[in-house]
Amino acid sequence: MSPELATRLIDALGALLLFTMILILAAGQLYRAIYAVAAQSVLIALAGAVLGATTHNLDLWIVAGITLLVKAIALPWLLLRVIRRVGIRREIEPVVPITATLAIAGGIVVLAFHLSSSLGAVRQAITGNALPVGIALTLMGVLVMMSRREALTQMVGLFASENGIFFTAMAVSQGMPLIIEIGVVLDVILGALVMGVMVLRVRSSVDADIAELDRLRG
Amino acid sequence: MTTLLWILPLVPVAFGLAMLGVRDRRLFHALDLASASATGVLVVIVARTVMRDGSLRAAGVFAADAVTVVFLGLIALLGLATAIYTIGWMRREVAGGDIEERRLPAYFALVQAFLATMLVTVLADNLGVLWIAMEGTTITSALLVGFRRDRYGLEAAWKYIIVTTIGISFGLFGTVLVYAATAHALGGAAAGAMNFTTIAAMAHRLDPGIVRIGFIFVIVGYGTKAGLAPMHMWLPDAHSQAPSPVSALLSGALIKCALFGIIRFHTIARGACGPAFSGRLLLLFGLVSVVVATPFILTQRDLKRLLGYHSVEHVGIVALGLGIGGPVGTYAAFLHVLNHGVTKALVFFVAGDALGRYGSRDMGRIRGFLRAAPFAGTFLMLGAFSLAGTPPFSIFVSELLVLRAGIAAGRYVTVAIFLAMVVVIFAGLIHHAGKMAFGEPDEAVRRGGEAPSGVLAMGLLAAVMLLLGLTVPPGLDRILTRAAEVTLGS
Repeated sequence: MSPELATRLIDALGALLLFTMILILAAGQLYRAIYAVAAQSVLIALAGAVLGATTHNLDLWIVAGITLLVKAIALPWLLLRVIRRVGIRREIEPVVPITATLAIAGGIVVLAFHLSSSLGAVRQAITGNALPVGIALTLMGVLVMMSRREALTQMVGLFASENGIFFTAMAVSQGMPLIIEIGVVLDVILGALVMGVMVLRVRSSVDADIAELDRLRG
Repeated sequence: MTTLLWILPLVPVAFGLAMLGVRDRRLFHALDLASASATGVLVVIVARTVMRDGSLRAAGVFAADAVTVVFLGLIALLGLATAIYTIGWMRREVAGGDIEERRLPAYFALVQAFLATMLVTVLADNLGVLWIAMEGTTITSALLVGFRRDRYGLEAAWKYIIVTTIGISFGLFGTVLVYAATAHALGGAAAGAMNFTTIAAMAHRLDPGIVRIGFIFVIVGYGTKAGLAPMHMWLPDAHSQAPSPVSALLSGALIKCALFGIIRFHTIARGACGPAFSGRLLLLFGLVSVVVATPFILTQRDLKRLLGYHSVEHVGIVALGLGIGGPVGTYAAFLHVLNHGVTKALVFFVAGDALGRYGSRDMGRIRGFLRAAPFAGTFLMLGAFSLAGTPPFSIFVSELLVLRAGIAAGRYVTVAIFLAMVVVIFAGLIHHAGKMAFGEPDEAVRRGGEAPSGVLAMGLLAAVMLLLGLTVPPGLDRILTRAAEVTLGS
């Protein structure tokens, strides 16, 4: 694959990634947010495949495969399973109105593109628009976590945020060293498992959503 | 010698795995102590080698220089003190039914895993490995914070894991950006493009724009984990809800490991963007932390939350030292890392004893601690005076050095704010500690019966605290001076 075609494909995937992020931000149902983050992870895996084909780097193909298995299939499955196990309320109740959240998200995207366009020649080290899209995804993931109170929605925000980092990391020249990527994914899995266990434990012991506990103050 | 760097983190891993099969309580403590001693011996050997040869490297994954040695020493010392303290503490917890006997293997193995991840964090040369280990510390310690499984513990553990995980994912983004800058400067993804030693050596060739964005991500990300305000909201919860020996490790050692990450990127940013940029950011976060923590310290009623907020203040002071910079400011920052770590662990040990004795963490109900527990009460007063920054204790020395560096650098406004806050906190802290120490304890309070292991652990830390207040031994002085030089990139 020629580098020019790869850049165009990465930019197209970047636009789709931002679109899935909007879906997550606007989701009124927990299911939709989870499907949107799964779709986002599929796009990340595709980006890995595109970059792997361009740079002829086997590592990127492996990373794409791991992303597909872990972030597009296993983690969404885990979230859906937790929902079924405990019958969590399925509607998302935003702390901030969704329109306001979307407006902030728009601001974040503009800021991210502005930031990266201020960079000089070093931009060539990262394919296409992967840097501004990655920054935007990471910050918007945090926005999801801050504007929602349910534990599982916060986890969705976290995964989306990490997707942004993966997208940028893949697009840096040849991607990060494989062993580092695997270590990072391992941490993501372990962290998600521990969070899932905590959510279940609080449900069974005090019958509340863990993120809504607010006795510790001051 | 380089194999030592591999063996060092494997020691707690091996002991932790062995503990999973143990059922006898005495054997747990024996393994715990053996692990801490073995780690201590290895750290001393690494320190001697580093001071002789300048640095130690192992296959581009691990490396040790003087900065590493400072943090390794702190982790090893606190690991040993905690292992000793846990003996008496655990006997009481199990007797009181707070921790079930069948969950002991999980507890001890998790503590070992936690120590191992901290050791990997400060030994990491590869910045990706540093990140992976740092996230590892979050996962292992979150399980320990929520170990009691009650609603408060779980609430604290959830806040802790979710906030710090998102925080340090910012750290990963910063790492990726610095990696991109390095790969660009090297003309492709060469081997070692993620290694601190490689990056620091060629920092002046990196694009300053991208390193600047990267450093902002890193200081917000690892700063969250370090407890710098305004990203500190999880810290008082997690540090107060964790079992007391774990609180000592969290406040004493773990938040310092996050500072280690910031220090590495500070060195890189200094090389790429000049000394002003990262220094100014550190100064800003440091000052905000000191100011934000003050009102919470004054109005606090919960003993362990008080100590948590106090850690925010002291992490802020370390950041101030780094931000003021220069050989003196940076030296002071490293000295303060040690001083605060030792003192805070000591006071958390005391708090663990008070909690068991009074059955309450409300400082209004803790009275006559000196009568109830003469040793722990004395250590409480010593620790409080040290934390408040009184001579002849260690924290006074490092705070004075930070002030001196600030005045020499002409940062009068910063120094004035810092000084005002320290004076206010001094008054608040001595007030709190005095009310707890003096007076007559209630009839219901359990008197005497202080565990020898607890007294020994506190005595060890108090001795170090007093020693560092009176003089910095020549060997340590050399390590700290060298660590400051490495950080400043000279």
